[in-house]
Amino acid sequence: MIVGFTLNGSPQRCEVPAHWTLLRMLRDAAGRTDAKHGCGEGVCGACAVFVDGVAVNSCSVLAPQVEGAAVETVAGLGADGELHPLQTEMVARGGVQCGFCTPGMVISAVEAVRIGAAGSEEEIRHSLAGNLCRCTGYGKIVGAVAAYRDGEPE
Amino acid sequence: MYPRPFEYARPDSVGDAIQALSGAAGEGRAIAGGQSLVPMMSLGLASPDLLVDVGRLPLAGAERAGGTLVLGALTRHRELERSGELGRHVPLAADAARYIGNPRVRNRGTLGGSLSHADPASELGAVALAHGGRVVIASGDGERSVAIRDFFHGYFVTAVRSGELLTRVELDLPPPGTGHGFSEISNRADDFATAAAAALVTIDDRGLCAAARLALAGVGDRAMRCERAEALCRGETLDDELLGRLNRTVVEAVAPEADAFVSAEYRARAAGICAARALGAAWRRAREERL
Amino acid sequence: MSAVEVKTRRRVVGSDLTRHDAVEKVQGRTAYAADFSLPGMLHARLKRSDYAHARLARVDTSAAEAIDGVVSVYTAADVPRNTVWVDVPGQTLEVGALKARSNVLADEVVRYHGEPIALVAAETEDAALAAVDAIAIDYEPLAVVDDAERALDPDAPRIHETGNMLAHWELEEGDVEAGLDAAEAMVESEYRTQFVDHAYLEPEAGVSWRDTDGVITIRAATQVVEHFRDVAKILDLPDNRVRLITPYVGGGFGGKEDMTVEPYLGIVVALTGRPVRMVWSRQESLMARQNRHAVRMRYRTGADAGGRLVAMDVDILSDGGAYALLSALVLLYSTTCAAGPYRCPNVRIRARTVYTNHTPCSAMRGFGGMQVALGYEGQMDLLAAELGIDPLELRRLNFVERGDTLPIGQPLETTVELPALVDAVTDRLGPLPEPSGRRRAVGRGFACNLQPYGRCVWLNDWSSAWIGFELDGTLVIRIAVPDIGGGQASSLIQIASETLGVPPERIAIHIGDSALNPLTGTTTATRQLYMSGNAVLEAARRLRERLAGVAAELLEVEPERIEFAAEGVRERDGSRSLDFKALLAACASVDVAWHVLATYRAPKGVPWQADETWRGRVFPDFTYGCHAADVEIDLDSGQARVLRYVAAHDVGQAINPQSVEGQIEGGVAMGLGYALSERLVFEEGQNLTGSFAQYLIPTAVEVPDITPVILESGEGKGPFNARGIGEPPIGPPAPAVAAAIHAATELRLTELPFTPERISAAIGAREEAADATS
Repeated sequence: MIVGFTLNGSPQRCEVPAHWTLLRMLRDAAGRTDAKHGCGEGVCGACAVFVDGVAVNSCSVLAPQVEGAAVETVAGLGADGELHPLQTEMVARGGVQCGFCTPGMVISAVEAVRIGAAGSEEEIRHSLAGNLCRCTGYGKIVGAVAAYRDGEPE
Repeated sequence: MYPRPFEYARPDSVGDAIQALSGAAGEGRAIAGGQSLVPMMSLGLASPDLLVDVGRLPLAGAERAGGTLVLGALTRHRELERSGELGRHVPLAADAARYIGNPRVRNRGTLGGSLSHADPASELGAVALAHGGRVVIASGDGERSVAIRDFFHGYFVTAVRSGELLTRVELDLPPPGTGHGFSEISNRADDFATAAAAALVTIDDRGLCAAARLALAGVGDRAMRCERAEALCRGETLDDELLGRLNRTVVEAVAPEADAFVSAEYRARAAGICAARALGAAWRRAREERL
Repeated sequence: MSAVEVKTRRRVVGSDLTRHDAVEKVQGRTAYAADFSLPGMLHARLKRSDYAHARLARVDTSAAEAIDGVVSVYTAADVPRNTVWVDVPGQTLEVGALKARSNVLADEVVRYHGEPIALVAAETEDAALAAVDAIAIDYEPLAVVDDAERALDPDAPRIHETGNMLAHWELEEGDVEAGLDAAEAMVESEYRTQFVDHAYLEPEAGVSWRDTDGVITIRAATQVVEHFRDVAKILDLPDNRVRLITPYVGGGFGGKEDMTVEPYLGIVVALTGRPVRMVWSRQESLMARQNRHAVRMRYRTGADAGGRLVAMDVDILSDGGAYALLSALVLLYSTTCAAGPYRCPNVRIRARTVYTNHTPCSAMRGFGGMQVALGYEGQMDLLAAELGIDPLELRRLNFVERGDTLPIGQPLETTVELPALVDAVTDRLGPLPEPSGRRRAVGRGFACNLQPYGRCVWLNDWSSAWIGFELDGTLVIRIAVPDIGGGQASSLIQIASETLGVPPERIAIHIGDSALNPLTGTTTATRQLYMSGNAVLEAARRLRERLAGVAAELLEVEPERIEFAAEGVRERDGSRSLDFKALLAACASVDVAWHVLATYRAPKGVPWQADETWRGRVFPDFTYGCHAADVEIDLDSGQARVLRYVAAHDVGQAINPQSVEGQIEGGVAMGLGYALSERLVFEEGQNLTGSFAQYLIPTAVEVPDITPVILESGEGKGPFNARGIGEPPIGPPAPAVAAAIHAATELRLTELPFTPERISAAIGAREEAADATS
């Protein structure tokens, strides 16, 4: 079937079987590898993208379910090649190690701040609980999110 | 790793959806948010022949009708959790929703999908049971209404039959003077509940418990009420001594199964703790409301 | 603290330089192994065993081959050399005692649940998945050995013809029984650890193609590009006909030290001539890739009245799973570290690892040196209670020092700053937090450790690096180092920048290619900064010396007065200078090359012989640490919450303090998962932990605010006297949490993980006992 949607603002039409997930369509049909396949069962968050402005695990959404939707990956966040302020904080504060969880982590953190679910350190930690990271111990990521929320770039 | 091939239909109306489900060659299933179904398909635990996408049908929205809150099947967990309006009507659901999956699961997961999926560890199953009310199911013969207490039939089995679709949930709203409590024990944030408890406690004019509802998740093949514990509450003050008895009553009343990760004994213990905590919280809130 | 002094002002080393790879990663632009695709590539998948132990009566691939789009289905008979003897991976020559055998595809018998049986290559991933489902296998089940003790029974089924003993190390120093008899206090306990998965976020993946020169080229997530040799052997090709490239890896932790997808990719390319991709699912990664060894330890420890250790008897039995892989070497680490960072005159260590029908165990962060921390630290806490001495005081009385020798004969040549590390941790802890409510208790626990950095010296480890200028004055580093997320590559940039003056942003580093980069050995064993850092430093120093000579002639100053700066060289305290472009032109005119290939060689040692009296050096050096945990226990549910955590290590010199903190914080988080929630559960050999919803690595909620403390003693064997820090932080968390649980509840838990159920059961048992006596 043909699935039409916008990807980071550009119209996209992908011919995929209905049983493909959004993640698979992004990676293997649309050529966008910045959503990562970490578990395929909606637990790790590495595949997070925005669909119509709402963060989803793209491994748990079927491709035809985004017909007509606006899909945004981490690559769609910055403007004109500039980093999004959260990305700047993640880099400056050592929130990136192996980097595999990073795109999904950034999506979740941006949403958490946007909807007001990052008020305290504890809230940030709960908002990021569905994004597993095995390298950093989370502290530097939590610090980056708090700094982005407070608008105090390091 | 990935879902295996299936037929996909996206009907424009409830009627077309039911027709598609009824006409399925093999197993037909409705998909809304897909937050349980798609992972299960990826893990090879489900392999339907037909998926009927009901995610765009006009089944969202919430409406208060007398002592009932009517919630469309497509009400998202995130709305229950974060909508102040819903939170005022069903604060128990708002409390419970925070324990469901992770934020992205809550962004897409729906009330109707969760209840239809009928995972015995589901938070919303316990919430629905605690409130009581009806589930409305559409079929080729029209609509029928099933009491929530009769809705869950066992592991992943409900009153929704093949070719039918859950369209809305009518939750009974408790009377004024009712407090709510939700408690869950799991091995990790985002983990499935080892056990969870949803409680509603109503206080009478004398400041004693007029009625209590206690529903448990994770301790059997379906969400269940614990009427023995509820009966103990009536006419009483839910002090520490009684909460301790309630804890022990629940432990004795449930007969959970063990799995590779949690023993039956610990699940029962966890259920008792959750029950006492949920009832205790509901009691405190009810008293605060009285004051 | 005497250990913390600023020794030398440096430009780049010691600064929180932003990693060059972080900007790409945060934008999602880094092309990991699974992100690469090739025109016309096939998709490969494995059919894995449903049984833990069975004879393969029939493997019928005909239905699979008939599926549209399936190109081929291979079984053991199709693999050119299916049974391979794998040396300890790396750039070393054979070391007989550590050789291990395994099969590429199961041949006649499967020995663990998930063992690969057949390899499918298809035009699409969907066809490959369908083909895997269509392979029909008749199994004749064999008796399963799922317990290490049971494996040693004389009548236990034999998993391999050689028997079930995989490897053992035994030694006795002094007279342990006499020592224990004479001890004022003796404590005895058994400790158990569980199977653990690495659970990096990037599952195993890679692509492969036959390049224009006919060389089979594999681009895969690995910690060891030297596996090109192992693939060549499997394909029956000369070593130089296989090339392995590793892109930035999404986490390793030892799980990508043994081969994963590499042989299968090579087989498909060799037999079809077409490019191929293979990506493992999370579920097969959890089910069938090697784990951390589950270990049972028995300790008897004796001390005199003053608290000095007099004797220690250690018995270690580890479950190596179905194939040997690196188990013998892992056990050597356990043996070396078994007594902990403590002096003891009489020590007996018996360490054994056995075959079972569990998933094979092999390398994981801490590599056998970490499980024993639960034992030796648990014993120190028991002994402290027995003697009525503060646990930290007891440790201080017994810490090893420079000049001491570990029981195995390992000399300790660099400073041991454990007393300063204890001080550093206690200084930062503050008061014990109050319990957050009724039926809650808070306790504080400490643990210390030692962990080697650098590989076993018998392996004659070495690392090479190439550094050269480009004509525009930028600098290039070529080195085959795999960067698995720890900043392996960016630290090398810092070292080169420090020495040659070129700012980091003007240095490019080309890594991870076994054909085009000088080989540098594995990113394992906490060796990469140590080994490759020394190689880069050596190359940079020699290049600097060479260019300084040319510059000195040109500027007519003494070579010693030539300084290297961002744009070029200049005369110290003088006015004469030369930019790099001009300097390189001068080099060209006098035939001086502006590149250097240098090799760093680790210290050597005499390999262990089959002789219990053998003693000697095993490792180059050690990193030491002290951690503290404040833990709150819910006395009803048994849930443990870590409220605060402080972790201090002496790293000699931090090349990049932010990266060092990252290693400490990440290691602690992984150690806390090991302590509290992570475990692979098997039932009669069946791995039941088949999903990420069941294998519980900590989330941001479970991991507390971790305070990393970096101590810089200025002593270490790495570049600028650095010590390795990749593995060391994983050791102390479990014993620190155990001690904190004891402080909160007086319960001594000895079996990992400390799940709510286990804690609750222990509390329940004690309260019942108290009720019975009251």
